[in-house]
Amino acid sequence: MAIFRIYLPFLDDVKAKGLKTAVRDKYSDVVTRVTTGMNPTDVRMLLRDDPVGRPNPRLKPHSESFWFHMKPTYYHQMMDGFYPTFRLGWLSTYFFVFEIITGIALMIFYTPSPLSAYDNMRNILSNVPFGDLLRDLHKLGAEAMVAVVVLHMLRTYITGSYKKPRQFTWLTGVVLLGVTLILSFSGYLLPWDQLSLWAVTIGASMVEAAPPEIVGRTLNLLVRGAPEFGANGLLRFYLLHVVALPAIGVIALGVHYYKVILHGHSLPPEAEAIGEDTAKRVPMEHRVYFMPKILTRELFYVTGLTGLMILLATFIYNAPPLEAHADPLITPLHITSPWYFLWLQGMLKIGDKVLWGLIIPTGLVGMILLLPYFEVGPSRRYGHRRVGLSAAALSVAALAILSFMGSPWYLVTSSPDQEAVAALVPQTHPGPLRESEWGELDFGTYQAGLWDTAPTPALRELLHIFDEELAKADAPERRDVQGFMVIEDWQTDLKKVTLRVVWTNPDGSPHEFSQSVYLHRDSEYAGG
Amino acid sequence: MTEAAAPAPAGVEAPLPLSRREFLYYLWGVSMAVALAGGTGAAIWFALPRFKEGEFGGVVTIDVGALPPVDSPPASFADGRFWLVNIGPQTATDPRQPTDYAVQPGIKALYMVCVHLGCLYKWVETQDRFECPCHGSKYLKSDARIDGPARRNLDVFMIEAVDAGGNVIARTEPVLGNTQGSSVPITPEVVVLRVDTGRKIVGGANTKPGGGI
Repeated sequence: MAIFRIYLPFLDDVKAKGLKTAVRDKYSDVVTRVTTGMNPTDVRMLLRDDPVGRPNPRLKPHSESFWFHMKPTYYHQMMDGFYPTFRLGWLSTYFFVFEIITGIALMIFYTPSPLSAYDNMRNILSNVPFGDLLRDLHKLGAEAMVAVVVLHMLRTYITGSYKKPRQFTWLTGVVLLGVTLILSFSGYLLPWDQLSLWAVTIGASMVEAAPPEIVGRTLNLLVRGAPEFGANGLLRFYLLHVVALPAIGVIALGVHYYKVILHGHSLPPEAEAIGEDTAKRVPMEHRVYFMPKILTRELFYVTGLTGLMILLATFIYNAPPLEAHADPLITPLHITSPWYFLWLQGMLKIGDKVLWGLIIPTGLVGMILLLPYFEVGPSRRYGHRRVGLSAAALSVAALAILSFMGSPWYLVTSSPDQEAVAALVPQTHPGPLRESEWGELDFGTYQAGLWDTAPTPALRELLHIFDEELAKADAPERRDVQGFMVIEDWQTDLKKVTLRVVWTNPDGSPHEFSQSVYLHRDSEYAGG
Repeated sequence: MTEAAAPAPAGVEAPLPLSRREFLYYLWGVSMAVALAGGTGAAIWFALPRFKEGEFGGVVTIDVGALPPVDSPPASFADGRFWLVNIGPQTATDPRQPTDYAVQPGIKALYMVCVHLGCLYKWVETQDRFECPCHGSKYLKSDARIDGPARRNLDVFMIEAVDAGGNVIARTEPVLGNTQGSSVPITPEVVVLRVDTGRKIVGGANTKPGGGI
């Protein structure tokens, strides 16, 4: 008596129907299971975009399969074009997934400790196959995601899609915007270079400004894990970046998308009578079914966009190279926040940090969050919302102006000698000197004023910049302002470049400021 | 149940009496909320950093020989996170000094961190002042803010001037209503300075362009 009996119905089928028929039936069975309800003929008809009979087998996956049940079975014809969504919500989701995938890949070679983070980054950038590419992709994806999410919000505002019944969808969307911004910002610290450390220090100090003092101090300690950024702060930001914020993002995204499907994509404002919402009542003749048209197109977007991202990251986009290792004792000149926080930095320069860094931004966020609950005008038509749309245009303009004020070109200047040297060797990005052709930096001493006599084009350009910067330093209290560039062959493949600014003070005493940088043949600042 | 609701008049919803079960559920809800609040408090307490003895925050001892000369550029003591400035007649009578905050000659220990947003300001010899590279706050050697988005003067640490016998000759005193730390005069008998980086005097409000309350 056998303990195990293997029973294969397929063998019975082979006996009963013959091998060929049995295999074909089995294949059909497997396909139907995998597609949760479509047999091979249904699949082929789908791919051929043949007219579909009733009952429509293409609706089966929408009720049976986990992934497809999230997608609507059909869209309104009007939502099929680029307007009014511009695919921005879809793009936001795409970049969220894109960031998770590239981020997990980068995590493999990264340890969140000040002892190793910077070395890990160098290893990723110079040694790990595709490491540089992955980092570029992750950074490019992050910046694109911020831009896309902001544009998505702007679009939703302009078309009035936040209005009843979509108020809560808007609210969860604002949460997602916050998650996106903080995700991006928390990632800023991880490379552990000077830019990371100080940009994030400024951000954390804004938290510290929260009144009353005990709350600010406690929040600051919780965020940094110490009075200043170090091992604890890096670990905390890492955990925020890879666990807490993505988790909040996934949950908020789930709620957001559920609401989007529940209420349907809102139609263009001019397509409906005022006060009506017909997104869920799509007449048969205006329906575009998810399968095959939308599905294949979304798959095409995924492949096309991913290919585009890889091309951009390979040939055009280079994430900024690592700065010097984070140093808690030196704040670099002209430190800036990432471009999407420049507006906040601009507000910080206007005045009090509690008011401008905390109360006003919090008030703004609260206002945006609750916008659909107090802006309850029934009409979504552009012509009826002149005040609202003008307010949006003004806000965008204000953001642009504040962003300019946040840049180093506004209000932050040091002494003219340091500024002139920083124009060539800035402390926050590589700058002209490090990016110039190494081979053209000939040994010698050059004077900025005589830039046109320098032997190589690179030197002429550098000295010209130097000379123009020095011209700004010309003032009655500084006579005979001169700049020198001394280039020495310091070691094999290593040059030392000294920039020196001298002038005569009104009392006749000399003034001198100089700074040296070392440039290696293989440092690849220019190539990236 | 004895509390069976009487038939309500048409159009008006009968008020539902609070049943025992419902009441207990509310009680349970409240206790869960309290437990959650307690848990949040515990989580914050758990996540707050702990400090060890001897880290920044302790007392730093400095030999008088290491002090900067009178009216010379300040000296940086990075481990203790402070600048030592030696205020002399020239610094004390600097015309840029806000009149609300007069200074006396002597030594001060300025906390290195900009009171605006936590960057490290640096000494710019050319301009004879401290400048913050982040948002452009400017401070005099005396600790007074004279420009930029900062809204108060620099913070100073408490200093004790000690003689060879270990006696404290002079120390930083809170002046001007605890908004300024006094300068510590250096007399010939002083041998070392003890800077307590755990105790600082928060700089006084200073909001006007050019400095002043």
